[in-house]
Amino acid sequence: MQLKGEMSMLNVLHIQDTDVSEICSKLEQKRDEAPQFFMQSPIVIDGSELSGNALEFDFSALKQGLLDLGFIPVGSRNFPPAANNLMRESGWAIMRDQQSTSSVSKSEPVQKNQVKDSPVEESKENINTAPQTNPVAVMKTQMTVDRPVRSGQQVYAENSDMTVLSPTSAGSEIMADGSIHIYGALRGRVLAGARGNESARIYCQSLQAELIAIAGRYQLLDESDTTLKGKPAMIRLDGEKLVIEAL
Amino acid sequence: MSKVIVVTSGKGGVGKTTSSAAFAAGLASKGHKTAVIDFDVGLRNLDLIMGVERRVVYDFVNVINGESTLKQALIKDKRVENLYILPASQTRDKDALNKEGVESVINELKADGFDYIVCDSPAGIEKGAFMALYFADEAIVVTNPEVSSVRDSDRILGILQSRSKVAEEGGTVKEHLLITRYSPERVEGGDMLSKEDIQEILSIPLLGVIPESGSVLQASNSGNPVIMDKESQAGQAYMDVVSRFLGEDIPLRFVESEEKKGFFKKLFG
Ligand SMILES: Nc1ncnc2c1ncn2[C@@H]1O[C@H](COP(=O)(O)OP(=O)(O)OP(=O)(O)O)[C@@H](O)[C@H]1O
Ligand SMILES: [Mg+2]
Repeated sequence: MQLKGEMSMLNVLHIQDTDVSEICSKLEQKRDEAPQFFMQSPIVIDGSELSGNALEFDFSALKQGLLDLGFIPVGSRNFPPAANNLMRESGWAIMRDQQSTSSVSKSEPVQKNQVKDSPVEESKENINTAPQTNPVAVMKTQMTVDRPVRSGQQVYAENSDMTVLSPTSAGSEIMADGSIHIYGALRGRVLAGARGNESARIYCQSLQAELIAIAGRYQLLDESDTTLKGKPAMIRLDGEKLVIEAL
Repeated sequence: MSKVIVVTSGKGGVGKTTSSAAFAAGLASKGHKTAVIDFDVGLRNLDLIMGVERRVVYDFVNVINGESTLKQALIKDKRVENLYILPASQTRDKDALNKEGVESVINELKADGFDYIVCDSPAGIEKGAFMALYFADEAIVVTNPEVSSVRDSDRILGILQSRSKVAEEGGTVKEHLLITRYSPERVEGGDMLSKEDIQEILSIPLLGVIPESGSVLQASNSGNPVIMDKESQAGQAYMDVVSRFLGEDIPLRFVESEEKKGFFKKLFG
């Protein structure tokens, strides 16, 4: 199975040198050009173009800097394995076996500290073979959202379930690695099991979503013949099929 | 305490400038010292709607660049006491605005004892709109009864609550919904969204409903904020909006068609 890139456009920050404050200030400029586009959006750092010594890189400062700028740091990739411990200590999830994507990014013209919104294609096999100590596999506590998720906003619960107490708007996207519970009207896109967890489920009080997805299997609600539109519903995965049931 | 209020919408042409002019004039007419700032650099038209276009010497960008003082650029309205207009530049673009410059102008207005600073946002969600909302304490979100306008308002609400200064500091910008160009006949005929539909989608408190009215165009052509036209329904509806904003409890008017009103009159009257 593949987590399809079209469903979660992750920004990838290509790191070229070790000057974190420089990276952050360039990124801030970028963000201010299109704040609505980047706000609260997940971001991955990529070390394939790093010229300095990765062991001297201040990963904690970068993580904090990204959070301060309103990004959600999701993971890192293509850094030398020697830096893995350093990255884990500063709370970075390490995305494995990214040769395919790194070769793609190398073939593109390299621009300094550019934020790209490139689809991250990650196969489930890679995640499953990761040892249990990998931070990716550890479910954190769950995330609660109590403000409306508006059109253009993206909220991501990394390694956790998500509970939404407010409505989500058409044109919004909520994503969790675990299950998602929505008590307001669900009108946007909803993606549970975003990193391949097939037992993740979606529970909602009023199913008006544009798109529903679990572990990469997705469906446009308008193409579904469910009678539960606008009603309380639960969505789960049965083999390859999304099943919508009354709550 | 001065309050900064942004009038914003996402979508263009929904009535932001008309509403900014009316709202600012209404606040001033009730005795509050009010400044209204045009953030639509490059497409200024607040000064036209307020009828002061021939009195513009310096503008907002001149003040930001230190080419004039704020006092020199502020235009004092001749009809309404307490009302001041800071026009936008017509010859620059939105890049002439920056956070530091906007902040210093707003701080100086606060220090000068302005009670309300009304920011007329340009359309869109780019730099100009972002600058207009960044320092806001409260927001009036202007929406027309149609799907695309409501969607854009929803989008701007998201930006407001995540990217404004108040939001960055962990607070919430107070939200007000202002529905404009409302035509009860067309709502009842099913061509337009009802005020209930809009509120259901946006889930923010309703500040007022301004009916579609020919007097708005007349007013802006003659350079008089429509709120000064005490005869027109739009003018009265805007005055209700100001009173509600200041805490009065006033029922909505002009939200039902003549036909429906007539029917209820027959039934109960
Ligand atoms: N209540 C109303 N009834 C009839 N016409 C209206 C009403 N409100 C606004 N208009 C008309 O709609 C047009 C756009 O209004 P206005 O310039 O206030 O919108 P805006 O949101 O500021 O536009 P922009 O996005 O270009 O800045 C004008 O021609 C105005 O006369
Ligand atoms: Mg305008």
